[in-house]
Amino acid sequence: MDDLSVSIPEGSIGLVGPNGAGKTTFLRLLLGLLRPTSGSGKALGFPIDDGIPIRERTGYMPEHDCLIQDMTGIGLVSYLGRVSGLDRGTAMSRAHDVLQFVGLEEERYRKVAEFSTGMKQKVKLAQAMVHDPQLYVFDEPTTGLDPRGRSEMLALVGKIAASQGRNIILSSHLLPDVESICKYVVILDGGHQIAAGPLSQLLSGAQDRLRIDVRGDRNAFLGVLKEAGIDADLGTTGIHIARRQGVEAEVFRAAKASGAEVRYMGAEIRSLEELFLELVDRPTGGK
Amino acid sequence: MSISLPTWTRREIPLQGRRSRVWAIIGTGLRREIRRPAVIFAVGVGTAVAVITSIVLAFFAPLLSQGRPLDLTFFMTPASSPGIFFFSTITAAAVGGGLIADDLDTMALTLYLSRPLRPVDYLTAKAAILAILTSLTVVLPLLLTPFIGALLGFFAWDIALEALGFGFLIGIVFTGFLTALALFLSSLTRRRAYAAAAVSAIIFGTSATAGVLAGAASINNAALLYLSPWEDYLQVARAAFGVNGGAIDWAVALAILLGITVVASLATWYRMRSFEVVSG
Repeated sequence: MDDLSVSIPEGSIGLVGPNGAGKTTFLRLLLGLLRPTSGSGKALGFPIDDGIPIRERTGYMPEHDCLIQDMTGIGLVSYLGRVSGLDRGTAMSRAHDVLQFVGLEEERYRKVAEFSTGMKQKVKLAQAMVHDPQLYVFDEPTTGLDPRGRSEMLALVGKIAASQGRNIILSSHLLPDVESICKYVVILDGGHQIAAGPLSQLLSGAQDRLRIDVRGDRNAFLGVLKEAGIDADLGTTGIHIARRQGVEAEVFRAAKASGAEVRYMGAEIRSLEELFLELVDRPTGGK
Repeated sequence: MSISLPTWTRREIPLQGRRSRVWAIIGTGLRREIRRPAVIFAVGVGTAVAVITSIVLAFFAPLLSQGRPLDLTFFMTPASSPGIFFFSTITAAAVGGGLIADDLDTMALTLYLSRPLRPVDYLTAKAAILAILTSLTVVLPLLLTPFIGALLGFFAWDIALEALGFGFLIGIVFTGFLTALALFLSSLTRRRAYAAAAVSAIIFGTSATAGVLAGAASINNAALLYLSPWEDYLQVARAAFGVNGGAIDWAVALAILLGITVVASLATWYRMRSFEVVSG
């Protein structure tokens, strides 16, 4: 990672980026598992140089399967609660609570080795919750789940995100998951931050631009627009023009002249996936 | 009139310190280990043999001394028992082989190190699990024989206490050596069986080879005995219990055992630092 300067507010934060973008390094830095070679950072008010106070207040749900197979669900979750610092009684009581929350109340006395992928994901979520952390770090929480399991997992993550005093960082390649849960997003590419901000603001795009989708020869349409003196460019999500008085009429005239059909003209409303592709596909490598 | 909204602050669950976290790993680790058949055999049979040998030696001390006064040198007999060598090695292999390798294989290391633990806490807990189980076959006989012997009145309490002290120290040195070596080998692989085989091969292999080569007519070099951890341990025990004999210097033997323990521990710690807890 290089030249990353980001201030993340409380709430639910999405961390997205292509492979090698620096998401994992960012999480390692955040948890104090890696020390920055230069610069500094704070998480939950604690310097990231010493990860212990941060990890005391953080619940990490890893992407990969990492559960201890010969333990029961309740045994594993309460054990990890104790490793987090809970006393024996509290750890056991919390383990029952969180396993009930994730929907494994009936299966909690079964060995983890007997669990399905979806149940294992829920145990991973439960172990991240057992010490009631302030910050949850979810690394691809829906990996390997069928549509129903994915929906259940997203609902659980959404419930946590909606709880007062709890913050989540959701690192995922599945951008619709991020879009459905998070209110703030950080997009990384090549070790750099290429965008960060409230999701609604990032997706709405610039207020002084209009997006136009046309059916027909887009290049011919773009050429006519430019001949008419309109500031227009072709992006991955459509044609963008500068918003000004009377521009709509000129757009329709250009469409008629080029034989194109205007299918949408309005504010830029993108999906996170469209925004992501637009940012990382820039020739400068996203910077 | 003024109305103020209620403020809400989140109450954190009080967390205990690092020591209790390490003890949680030790306690659960011991419970998990003693359920494994190989560990039940190694530790169970090894401890039984150690206890029985100690009691038998203590009861028959006057007979075994063959008329000589019962002094500190008697305790070299339990200290040099082949049972200690065999069962401590297979305990180190059966338990130690999997302590880190299993966590690497299942990637459970992530669960530990993403929590408020440092690698040194994790290693301390794992070392304690192995050391406790190994010491049952190494330290226990060295403590039981003088204790029972003194209770039976065959040994003066001052001699018994001296034997207890020396027995504890040399037992800890050998336990520490086996623990450090087994954990290091366990940190090199994801396969418990490979690490266990490596522990057995190194301890049994070097001891047998060094003994054979040192005594071979064509070589006849006693210095080769330093290669055998068991011979090193025996020489340190001889020095502790005031027994003459042995072809090597006890100080060098002790330095070798301690040196390997320290180097293996540092190497394991270095390995731990290189593991990626959060992988992408």
